[in-house]
Amino acid sequence: MSNQTSPSLRKRDTEDAVDYDANFDTKSQHGFFSRLYTGTGAIDVIGRRRMWYLITAVILLISLASILFRGFNFGIDFEGGTRIQFPGSVEQSQVEDVYRGAVGTDPESVQKVGAGATSNMLIRSEALNQGQVEKLQAALYTEFQPKDSSGKPNIAAISVSDVSETWGSQITKKALIALAVFLAIVAVYITIRFERDMAIAALAAMVFDVAVTAGIYSLVGLEVSPATVIGILTILGFSLYDSVIVFDKVEENTRGVLHVNRRTYAEQANLAVNQTFMRSINTALIGILPIVGLLVIAVWLLGVGTLKDLALVQMVGLLVGTYSSIFFATPLLVSLKERFGPVAAHTKKVLAKRSGVASARALAAAEQRAVAATGRPPSEAELRRAAGQTPEPGARPSGKRHKRRN
Amino acid sequence: MPPSQGSAQHPLRLLGVYAALLAVIYALVFFTGDKAPTPKLGIDLQGGTRVTLTARTPDGSKPSQDSLKKAQEIIENRVNGLGVGGSEVVIDGDNIVITVPGDDGQQARALATTAKLYIRPVLAAIPVGPDGKVPTQNATQPAPAPEAPPVVPPADQPPAEVPPAEPAPQPRVFPAQAPTQPPADTGGLTPQEIAQKEIAEARATRQSADPAVQQAAVLALDCSKPDPLAGNDDPTLPLITCSIPGSQSSEVYLLGPSKIDGQEIKDATAGLNSQQARHEVNLEFKSGGSDAWAAITGDAIKQQSPQNRVAFVLDSRVVSAPVVQQGPQLGGRTTISGNFTAASSKELANTLKYGSLPLSFQTSEAETVSATLGLSSLRAGLLAGAIGLLVVLLYCLAYYRMLGFLTALSLFASGLAVYGIMVLLGRWIGFTLDLAGIAGLIIGIGMTADSFVVFFERIKDEMREGRSFRSAVPRGWARARRTILSGNAVSLIASAVLYLLAVGQVKGFAFTLGLTTVLDVVVVVLVTMPLVMLASRSQFWAKPGVNGLGAIQEVARERRAAGAALSEGVRTR
Repeated sequence: MSNQTSPSLRKRDTEDAVDYDANFDTKSQHGFFSRLYTGTGAIDVIGRRRMWYLITAVILLISLASILFRGFNFGIDFEGGTRIQFPGSVEQSQVEDVYRGAVGTDPESVQKVGAGATSNMLIRSEALNQGQVEKLQAALYTEFQPKDSSGKPNIAAISVSDVSETWGSQITKKALIALAVFLAIVAVYITIRFERDMAIAALAAMVFDVAVTAGIYSLVGLEVSPATVIGILTILGFSLYDSVIVFDKVEENTRGVLHVNRRTYAEQANLAVNQTFMRSINTALIGILPIVGLLVIAVWLLGVGTLKDLALVQMVGLLVGTYSSIFFATPLLVSLKERFGPVAAHTKKVLAKRSGVASARALAAAEQRAVAATGRPPSEAELRRAAGQTPEPGARPSGKRHKRRN
Repeated sequence: MPPSQGSAQHPLRLLGVYAALLAVIYALVFFTGDKAPTPKLGIDLQGGTRVTLTARTPDGSKPSQDSLKKAQEIIENRVNGLGVGGSEVVIDGDNIVITVPGDDGQQARALATTAKLYIRPVLAAIPVGPDGKVPTQNATQPAPAPEAPPVVPPADQPPAEVPPAEPAPQPRVFPAQAPTQPPADTGGLTPQEIAQKEIAEARATRQSADPAVQQAAVLALDCSKPDPLAGNDDPTLPLITCSIPGSQSSEVYLLGPSKIDGQEIKDATAGLNSQQARHEVNLEFKSGGSDAWAAITGDAIKQQSPQNRVAFVLDSRVVSAPVVQQGPQLGGRTTISGNFTAASSKELANTLKYGSLPLSFQTSEAETVSATLGLSSLRAGLLAGAIGLLVVLLYCLAYYRMLGFLTALSLFASGLAVYGIMVLLGRWIGFTLDLAGIAGLIIGIGMTADSFVVFFERIKDEMREGRSFRSAVPRGWARARRTILSGNAVSLIASAVLYLLAVGQVKGFAFTLGLTTVLDVVVVVLVTMPLVMLASRSQFWAKPGVNGLGAIQEVARERRAAGAALSEGVRTR
């Protein structure tokens, strides 16, 4: 496999080369989905970044407000308690009666979970001591005769789990340490791998992802378990993975853009977003499909537990992460670039060039050429594009993209 | 070898390397160890009991690794004493995790009892009301417990007996749990600091030698609450404490300094007293303990009630406090009997026999999963995995057409390796696949398939610029490789950090997710890339209907046409 660029390709990359793409109007000839699929530009993400910032800010504010005012619905692992589960499907009031008879108090909740052959009764209660548990087990066994996997009634078919109220906070503490370590390592990694602005944008998107995922949990009132807390950490991985892939393309498209006064950094970044759009959608779908399967099965067959908690948090996080990598991370990157450093000056130069006299001349020349080529008078939009003004979002990048990095 | 030929063999060579890797893995699976091609399952998949114990030190400091190791050893002995096979005791950070497979593991929940046994003389005993507190009128006048039956040495050896009225030593699930609601003023303190404070407070009041403080402590003591001292009492000081909770005849005791401690126990066995048809724990003291026992019974026999009683204090609570009827008792043997079942007497015997733990533990999590629930969890996990795999494949086939099969092959190749490695790791480092691990594997399906997505979109990029499928593949790969590596590096960092720092079940999740990430890189280089490379050289795969890349080729053609027209214009200028 050759990494060498063929002479003809290299020639196209020079300043004087003809910009093929600028003369090609995809929009007029292809539908939205076709443009989406071919990555030839369907969505002007960067151009409308003010709108995306607004949407992002609103989502973030709602999330933070919810976390602040509604708080979380912490599960048994944070309060401490006992969870008893046995196979079978019986009336909840019956179970409550048996519980009352054996323990003397009321259970916190009794619910039916799972479906069909795997349906279970789930009792949650305050922390019971071993004696109380044994009494309750015996009472449940006598009353409901839960069957084990071989179909015979067996007292061992009753599952019991106890959690102390410090367990949840212990896990949360560990998770926070893990979070700090992860952030430190990743910040170093992506600063080496990308440039400073990209690192900032990727980390900002990640913070957004975590805050919004937590916000959704708070808003919907989903139960937070230690598995959820840890799941949030995995979301960080997803979030960065997504940003890394989009930025990789942005980096490629914008390489050398400052040496050519044809395109602005923002336009090239928008192109990158569009070119990775299908990938982002596919990644999200391919990531989410198994998770949805997991979630459905976990809820349907088991009702509750680690499997459901992990699946749910991953799904929420993946959706949020996909949104942020496209509509928040890249716009933020462009804004950072345009505010600080040489990109701002370059953008001005490009825009000035476009509105300049040279461009008027080019406009005329382009019309002449277009008529000669297609035999029809071109539209004004086509002309402006032909003259090297606003390129299509899906246009080919014009920087020195074949230069090897290393 | 001529270069053209070399590049033609290149993909096959890479595929060969992967096949060789798989062969090595499965040779190890089938020809080493127990040769069984099944991974080790966690207790949530096969049924069993898992208990997570968190060390709780009196001064709130981190437990030393030495003491954790010692505790692990002792608990291991206790677990083995239960006689259930396949049990495991591992140290996970500051926690000790006990895993007992099968349905017989319930008793493992009680193994963390610190088992600091002290034998203390009784100075006063006051019955408590149903609310767990000493009724006020009794407080000023310590009364002997009327129902405390005498210690009558039977004709044969065991000289001391605990009345049947005493409760079985109900092993508490949370032996040293802090009060359920930490007071508001502890805000900002870690659980360790709270524990430290409670222990210090309890020692100050309940172990005071000052009669006024003792009386106040007796009144303040609530026997219905968990004991913050729990094994952290100072044996050289007096102690005010309750009998084991759940007892019908609860008493609050004022006890003297310890005369014998648990270290002096040589052996403890559970037995059935056939005469009285009850379960007992027989103790045998070492020589020092034996002398002390003779002295203690000799002293007690001369005293008035309640000072004629001795208390067996296990983890700061009185298991039993019988009246001594005869003394001094020589021979170094005694019997504790109570409301035992066969199982609970065996537990107590085990606990005493295998020594006291160097640390006091709090049970953070205790889970008993029935084999039934484990089996349905396993089924659910496998079903979810199969469905996840199927939908991903369907989507890939719909989107990538026939190229989707290459994704399927890559996923299959990766799956084979993951399975084999899990079996091996189960043998070598005791890796167990649990429910969370299955979740990691399923989420990993998406990650593995995603590498193909990145690669494919890069091929599309190249084709959009006018390349043929054949020439787009190597160039697309050169670019995709970098992206895939950076993306997976981030995922790998995430799973590694999670694995190293997380506790409990989530470790399995981080592990399998990390494993699939590593294998993703291997598979994409050794399987996916060579397969696509081979496909790019065949006439069949180059057809737009087969690879689904017609739309891209269309765009490329249009671009070429427009470009040609423009070049024409430039030349005429």
